[in-house]
Amino acid sequence: MTQREDRRVELPVAAGPRQPDGSQVFVTTRLEKLIDAARKNSLWPFPFGTACCAIEFMSVMMSHYDLSRFGAEVVRFSPRQSDLMIVAGTVTDKMAPVMVRIYEQMAEPKYVISMGACACTGGFYRAYHVVQGIDEFIPVDVYVPGCPPTPEALLQGVVRLQEMIASGETHYQRAAAKAKAAARE
Amino acid sequence: MATAEETLAAIRLAYPEGSGVAEQPGGDMPTLRVDRKVLPDLARFLKNDPAARFTLLADVCGVDYPGRADRFEAVYHLYSPVHRSRMRLKVPVPESDAVVPSVYSVWKAADWFEREAFDLMGIRFAGHPNLKRILCHPSFQGHALRKDYDPGQRWLLREGEQDMPAWAADRSEDEDHFETQVINLGPSHPATHGTLRTTLRLDGEIITQAEAEIGYLHRCFEKMSESHTWNQVIPYTDRLNYCSSMMNGVGYALAVEQLLGLEAPPRAQRVRLILSELSRIMDHIVDIGANLNDIGAMTPFLYMYEAREEIYSVLEACSGARLTVSYVRIGGLANDVPHDFVDAVRWLLGRIPKLVDDMERLITANRIFRQRTEGVGRLSAEEALDWGWTGPCLRACGVPYDVRKDRPYIGYDQLDFKVPVASEGDTYARYLVRVEEIRQSLRLIEQAIADLPPGPVITSDHRVALPPKEKVYTEMESLIWHFKWVMEGMKVPTGEVYGYTEGANGELGFYAISDGGGRPYRLKVRPPCFAIFQAYPHMLVGHMIPDAVAILGSLNVIAGELDR
Amino acid sequence: MNDTIVCRPEPMGLLQRLYLVEVVKGLGVTLRHFLGNLFRRSYTVTVEWPEVKREYSERLRGRHILLTREDGSPRCVACYMCETACPADCIHIEAEEDPSSASVEWEKRPGVFTIDLLRCVYCGLCVDACPKEAIVMSRHHEMAFASREEAIVGLEQLLQKKPIGSLDLGYRPYYGEPRGTISLPIPVKAGERQAGR
Repeated sequence: MTQREDRRVELPVAAGPRQPDGSQVFVTTRLEKLIDAARKNSLWPFPFGTACCAIEFMSVMMSHYDLSRFGAEVVRFSPRQSDLMIVAGTVTDKMAPVMVRIYEQMAEPKYVISMGACACTGGFYRAYHVVQGIDEFIPVDVYVPGCPPTPEALLQGVVRLQEMIASGETHYQRAAAKAKAAARE
Repeated sequence: MATAEETLAAIRLAYPEGSGVAEQPGGDMPTLRVDRKVLPDLARFLKNDPAARFTLLADVCGVDYPGRADRFEAVYHLYSPVHRSRMRLKVPVPESDAVVPSVYSVWKAADWFEREAFDLMGIRFAGHPNLKRILCHPSFQGHALRKDYDPGQRWLLREGEQDMPAWAADRSEDEDHFETQVINLGPSHPATHGTLRTTLRLDGEIITQAEAEIGYLHRCFEKMSESHTWNQVIPYTDRLNYCSSMMNGVGYALAVEQLLGLEAPPRAQRVRLILSELSRIMDHIVDIGANLNDIGAMTPFLYMYEAREEIYSVLEACSGARLTVSYVRIGGLANDVPHDFVDAVRWLLGRIPKLVDDMERLITANRIFRQRTEGVGRLSAEEALDWGWTGPCLRACGVPYDVRKDRPYIGYDQLDFKVPVASEGDTYARYLVRVEEIRQSLRLIEQAIADLPPGPVITSDHRVALPPKEKVYTEMESLIWHFKWVMEGMKVPTGEVYGYTEGANGELGFYAISDGGGRPYRLKVRPPCFAIFQAYPHMLVGHMIPDAVAILGSLNVIAGELDR
Repeated sequence: MNDTIVCRPEPMGLLQRLYLVEVVKGLGVTLRHFLGNLFRRSYTVTVEWPEVKREYSERLRGRHILLTREDGSPRCVACYMCETACPADCIHIEAEEDPSSASVEWEKRPGVFTIDLLRCVYCGLCVDACPKEAIVMSRHHEMAFASREEAIVGLEQLLQKKPIGSLDLGYRPYYGEPRGTISLPIPVKAGERQAGR
């Protein structure tokens, strides 16, 4: 019934610093853990807010819930300066190329939180102009349910993302690990 | 002031029998069936004749009747601020030759409304300056609101297929050999609230040409409402103007209750009024705060957001959700308010003025703010009416039109409040009007909370509302009513109504057509910011980019309502 | 019309045009908020989640729970009313015969009952539609998933696990009597760290 292509965005991944002769340096796990801890505690969100969830995201940024207690105060509206894209609100077919372009403009490492029913699955808009889940176009790390999710639900989503970064389960880290393993063979 | 009879008599005189204008009896407002050849003439007559003076074109939409010989119908809703009367025009359009003359030359408000009727229904408007798709994306095929269009049929928009306006390709230099630049403001921009896109031609920093594009949040509300029952539409209405979600539900419920011919109980009406005014305060807080944020004043938004959080607590205790409340039901409310509702609202009434006072102390006499907003984005009253403006933006231009005073509903006529009006029509005037509206809303709530009538909160007519739960669990008859209500939907008698209320942005209209079934046949929403935003590109010429940002914030464009 | 109030911009006096006085007045407002936050802990409005959680009302529309009868079987009789009432079509039920029912009060039970928690818009229409008070909503609203499959919960995860008195219930069917309180200022649950309120 729907006409769509399966467009998965392929992440070009850097596999680690190289020696002058082209071989890989074996990075120690302690350093990786330190880098992951630094990254997870200083996420810079890019609020891709389209609809009602953007209002709840504004609630999270304001003084009552205060996302900056988790290190994510610096809300940057330029994708080149941020590493966490929070897609808050419905993404329509007209907005989808914009979202993909912004995702591709973000520098790595990058993470995506899909906030709200509309961004996760299309919600109750099974309609002719609504993307039925942003993972048709971009890889998503954390799905936060709710319509709109309460601010605590979004904060729990951010905390869950931080746990995923610490344990290496996000899309970016899995792709990086796979590329590193492939390069080692 | 002419009555409806005098207006109709003047029309009958100018357009006697057989000239293409026929009256349709019955209905909630005078309705004329108009032949499309006569339409531009009649439109000019209705706008200019002293007995008619319909200077505000509220809505243009298309309706699909597949069984009829003339498949489509273009429906126009008009309002006369002078005589305070309304009129509906219906123009039948055959499918083979689906062309109607455009009324853009009479009312500029027809600009985007006709584009939307073309996009979603396929009716072409001859003489329209820019007839292309407005809500669906450029690669969309078909016309989505036709009855034979499958609701789930999607079309993919690939990168590179997006629209640029035709004039953007013009790369000529002026006589000083300076090239102008064309940039996009949006759709992903910190200052465009939600998803709005404006293409600007810049000469240095000055804007010389502009065009707005919307539709980035077109969530197909009207198509969804045709496949859901009347009560299942209520969660969808919450997401229209999501900053003040209760008011959309109230407007929709009032329109359907008008079709049903019943009224909600007095307690429900009063609670709807109180929560509507709280939602209006919430919406104005977000609008003023976001406007200030874009101009550079970030502190007041943080202070006023606390007021929003506290109103959220009250809404959440009544309905179960903070933002998208779904509290309204056709015939009343979903459940009663908690025990300490009155005390909680009184506490809010003490708290909100302090936060708004803090904001006013920082902003209203502030020289920087005034220099950025006075004289910026000015629109005269005649132009605003011509563009179809309503609400605080129109009142800032000097026209004292407020639906709460014009045709009171849910008890506004029993309470004492004033309507703020300014005369300059610029951004500063819109700010002043909104702040004063917050104070008037607080006054309304104070009077409304003083005597909350006791009683049920939903009608006892079981064809309309669910029976009480203890009866459903014990009595067979109530169980059957319950079963029919859920499975088939509440049946609404055949008819049509244009129900309008004062939303936070202006006149929020619901044109509902029922065919006697449990689902709406057609539900058209008349969004106030649709008419307001279509004037924005024309207001921008001659201003600079920071002014464009300041003006956009003051117009309070909510994409959920704009694109539905 | 005598029920309008005209908003006129006040002409700016010399002090306001000089602007320095306005700067000092504005700084006074922000300084008051700053000193209040610094010295009076009750002045600060921030809820320090997750150590301190905000108490939501008894009507919060959170995650669904399927209630059970005394013998532990689900109250649900698979009548499909919640599935019909749901605007998002997120509930999927498959009925099966209930051979264990001794009386004629019910004949069916749900064999499959899944809710897609990511499609659900938490509107509560399913709770309103249930004739047996079998599906209610709890106050559990903090659920983040790592994949879409994780969010489709079945009968096992939805069934009530604890006695009904100890459940953290939220939105339930309306019986005609007002229930619950608002209790502003916003109440918080004290966690391991005292909020100082």
